[in-house]
Amino acid sequence: MTLSIGLIIILTLYVGLAQIDALSAQLGLYSPLFGGMITGLLMGNITIGLLVGGTLQLMILGVATYGGASVPDYLSGSIIGTAYAILSAKGAQYGIGLAVPIGLLLTQLDVLARMSNLFFQHMADRHARTGDYRGVERANLFGIIPWTLSRMIPVFIGLFFGNSVVNLINQYMPAWLMLGLKTAGAILPALGIAILMRYLPLKKFFAFFIIGFVLMAVGGTNMTMMAVALIGLALAAIYMLFKNEFKPAPAGGSPAARTKQNDDDEEVEIDD
Amino acid sequence: MTEEKTTEPVVTRKDLARVARRNIFGLQLGWNYEKMQGLGYCYTVLPILKKLYKDDPDKMKAALQNHLGFFNTTPAMSHLIVGANTALEEKLKGSDQDAVTGLKTGLMGPFAGVGDTLFVAIYRTLVFSIAAYLALQGQAVGLLIPLIAGFVILYIRYKFTFIGYNQGQRLTTEFGGQLKNLTEAAAILGLTVIGALIPAVIKPVIPLAFNIGKVKLDFQTLLNQIIPGIIPIAIVLFSYWLLGKKKMTSTRLLFILLAIGIILGNLANIVKLF
Repeated sequence: MTLSIGLIIILTLYVGLAQIDALSAQLGLYSPLFGGMITGLLMGNITIGLLVGGTLQLMILGVATYGGASVPDYLSGSIIGTAYAILSAKGAQYGIGLAVPIGLLLTQLDVLARMSNLFFQHMADRHARTGDYRGVERANLFGIIPWTLSRMIPVFIGLFFGNSVVNLINQYMPAWLMLGLKTAGAILPALGIAILMRYLPLKKFFAFFIIGFVLMAVGGTNMTMMAVALIGLALAAIYMLFKNEFKPAPAGGSPAARTKQNDDDEEVEIDD
Repeated sequence: MTEEKTTEPVVTRKDLARVARRNIFGLQLGWNYEKMQGLGYCYTVLPILKKLYKDDPDKMKAALQNHLGFFNTTPAMSHLIVGANTALEEKLKGSDQDAVTGLKTGLMGPFAGVGDTLFVAIYRTLVFSIAAYLALQGQAVGLLIPLIAGFVILYIRYKFTFIGYNQGQRLTTEFGGQLKNLTEAAAILGLTVIGALIPAVIKPVIPLAFNIGKVKLDFQTLLNQIIPGIIPIAIVLFSYWLLGKKKMTSTRLLFILLAIGIILGNLANIVKLF
């Protein structure tokens, strides 16, 4: 299968739109999961797209742009990786194996975009001094340009030269590496999960972590994620119940009743 | 809550709705290393500034420069700050820019602490990990989860602007406390799900078997008799431990895991070498 120029343009436009989504509404278009799925869907193999996107999603789970840190661009990685996996017909693991270094490499373009925006910050500073608020407004909107181009250009190039790149890799990739990537792809989600655990209060609530693990590990195919989530919800409710029961009741009724009251207050205020 | 508004309110519901929409769309468009979300913040509150200082160029200049200052917090939490700051700006009418900056910069740190846990770490655990788990099973329907949750968060962000405006400077005490309670409950749910996620999505096949006499012993089956999922949990706990080490970055850990994967995948061949 080859990539038509029309498809390349659609995917390039998609990654631009997805980057705007990442900065604004965050509906999920920006996630590697969507990137892989949409590329797979357009290229006629949605399963590979889901596998590549899902694995990359789990890898990036805990890696967030806290305080504006640059993180690997696994969105572009999942688009290019899925495309390469389908072009080469070598399966999802092949795509994941390529998406990881691509995503890492593209981190640098994210840094570049954030640096380029300095230009617009200074432009806004100049307009602010003269009181030109429209100029400030424009400067912020111009920020879209570095953000989107830093994603659209590499995706376009990566897809445009897709066939040649895939042929080149197939020629030089040793068998042991292919075999190794299969297992590597299966354990890489540990990366995102471990990082996420560092950001969650694991030390305080490790008991719940153990319960979740044992339920799924022992339950196997009889257990579903939704069932575990429901048990987790019940555990959280029990925890809050005990926490509130053993606390001396503050004036004005139970904490639950107090919360309710506040909610009502807010409603009234908004109607003003 | 009404006693804070001493004069006739100038800012209308419509203005706040407009600010909320701008906040969602524009806060991070101009993100840069100098002022981070500062440019986006100024863009967000511009309708308010226009309304308050349209006929006063000097105050407009001062307000513009003031709001272009450094700002960075969790996007969802920024709505509360913008709301609270709008109420203050409306009350002071440019008479005390330091108070406006103080509220803004004073809230962004603590709010980022709560927000990054609730709206980033726990949100991703509950929404994206479950969607990814379904995707790995070949089910595209899981992608509806982040879409629906995304719209719910948008609604919450919209509401946050109004809550911030109405609560004003008292935002940290009451509302902050409620969010902390919610974060704790959500963390329990999140950690339960994360625990379950490990055996569900980390599924390495280790091609290694021993022949003892005539009995063929599969390495992985042997380990799973202790407890199923022992290999996945060992890999995650090892990664978690490594991340606590100095000088360990997520990129380094990535390469370590890649190496482990390549070695495990070729284990049968490696053993044959000896």
